[in-house]
Amino acid sequence: MKKIVAVAIAFLIFSVGFYHAYELSELLNKSRCLGCIALLPKVSTFKEFWVQYPSFFHKKGSPTLPEWLLNESKQHVVMLFFWYKGCDPCKAQWEDMVKNGIVVGSEENGKMAANYSKNVSIITIDIVRSELGNLLEIFTPAKAIPSTPTTVILFTTNQTYWYAFSGILDASMVKKIIREAIEEWYAAARA
Amino acid sequence: MVCGGSCLTCPVAYSALSMVAIGIKRIYRKPMQKKRLVSQLIFLFITNAAFIFGATGLIYSYFYCWESPQATMSCPIGILEHAVLEASIFLAIYLVGTIAIIGTIFGRAPCGWACPIGFLQDVAGKIKISREIKRSKADERARYLKYAILAAIPFAVYHFATMAYTDICPIGGLTATLPILLFHYGGYTPTEFFLPKMILLALTIFLIVNVKRGWCRYLCPVGAMLAPFNKISVLQLTFDESQCLKCMNCARVCPMKINLPYDVKSMECIRCGMCVDECPTEALKLEFKWK
Repeated sequence: MKKIVAVAIAFLIFSVGFYHAYELSELLNKSRCLGCIALLPKVSTFKEFWVQYPSFFHKKGSPTLPEWLLNESKQHVVMLFFWYKGCDPCKAQWEDMVKNGIVVGSEENGKMAANYSKNVSIITIDIVRSELGNLLEIFTPAKAIPSTPTTVILFTTNQTYWYAFSGILDASMVKKIIREAIEEWYAAARA
Repeated sequence: MVCGGSCLTCPVAYSALSMVAIGIKRIYRKPMQKKRLVSQLIFLFITNAAFIFGATGLIYSYFYCWESPQATMSCPIGILEHAVLEASIFLAIYLVGTIAIIGTIFGRAPCGWACPIGFLQDVAGKIKISREIKRSKADERARYLKYAILAAIPFAVYHFATMAYTDICPIGGLTATLPILLFHYGGYTPTEFFLPKMILLALTIFLIVNVKRGWCRYLCPVGAMLAPFNKISVLQLTFDESQCLKCMNCARVCPMKINLPYDVKSMECIRCGMCVDECPTEALKLEFKWK
């Protein structure tokens, strides 16, 4: 009898946990933390902004950006920073960006530093807690695992220009891409 | 899904094949061991079947890295770390519930019947240099190390605010880091944790080829989670003293070197059934006892 009661209690605890935490567990399992296994994807060299999905980004069809992000990117350059608590490489990149005067605050409520805030807005997305976490898949190449940190810089003029990086992106490179994005955006606006 | 679902490029498939070849010949000769081999193979497949089931939200009740290319379920230690990092009480309840339900029914049987690392150790234990570590005070004390590791994980995660155990987990190194590096050479760069992870992995391999079930005995935090349930589990090792010939064959073959045939409720028992197979009189049995 005692064992039946023990199994019943265990089943009850399991059911409560399953009901409330299965989705979170599934999300964690899907968004692989490569930094946790001592690996990081190699960052591709920045050459120019893409105007459409490069062939290696194709999964099933070409994913489209959500409407709100397209609207936001028409107003100014948008930087997306995908991270989550406990991700060492995310923390390292964020601290590097803070040190180099690109962003201020923490990953949770980070903002662009005063130099950039006029032309660039940042959206930091905790892939575990935020509903926007699913966006990460759009910015992950076809055969790669969605991983953090991922940094995306995009803007829209007559079409959307964007670039995405998985892995630690050096602050000097972030500055360079942002500067080019602002210049392109202004040039298009003037035209 | 890193390997693209191709078994031809899957290191787990190759290691499984070689394990089967060696294992069938040397270990799994007795009736219950043959059943155990089938069980271990089925679980090895289920563990690495994300190309069929995808990455689910279920939790393994044994040790396997969820960053492994084809991992279907979540690592219990990873979930423990995230429960602390995210301060998620429900994630903790989910983990406790999973371990409790498996533990109350099967005790520590997943270590013996399901865990791919246990499977690896069964094979590694047959390598000639593998030694029989007899019960001693040092061995007894060293067995508490796994409980200390399990207890330290939440504190370390809270203190460092990172996946403190995962960062250096040798099993993660074996089942995730190496396969990904091997088959996507050039696609990834090692972080500063790569070297410590590989050193710990080398030490772990050294341990398991030198000591039978060395990882289970001394270091496995998942085994430490399941161990207390051996006392109350439905699946029990039972001993009928009236039939015992005192041949002590059971004590000789036990890979965990528990005090057989008397200490059948030992927290160290992985329910592998080697003692049952070896017993000439059926004094030892592995059975489900609901009462």
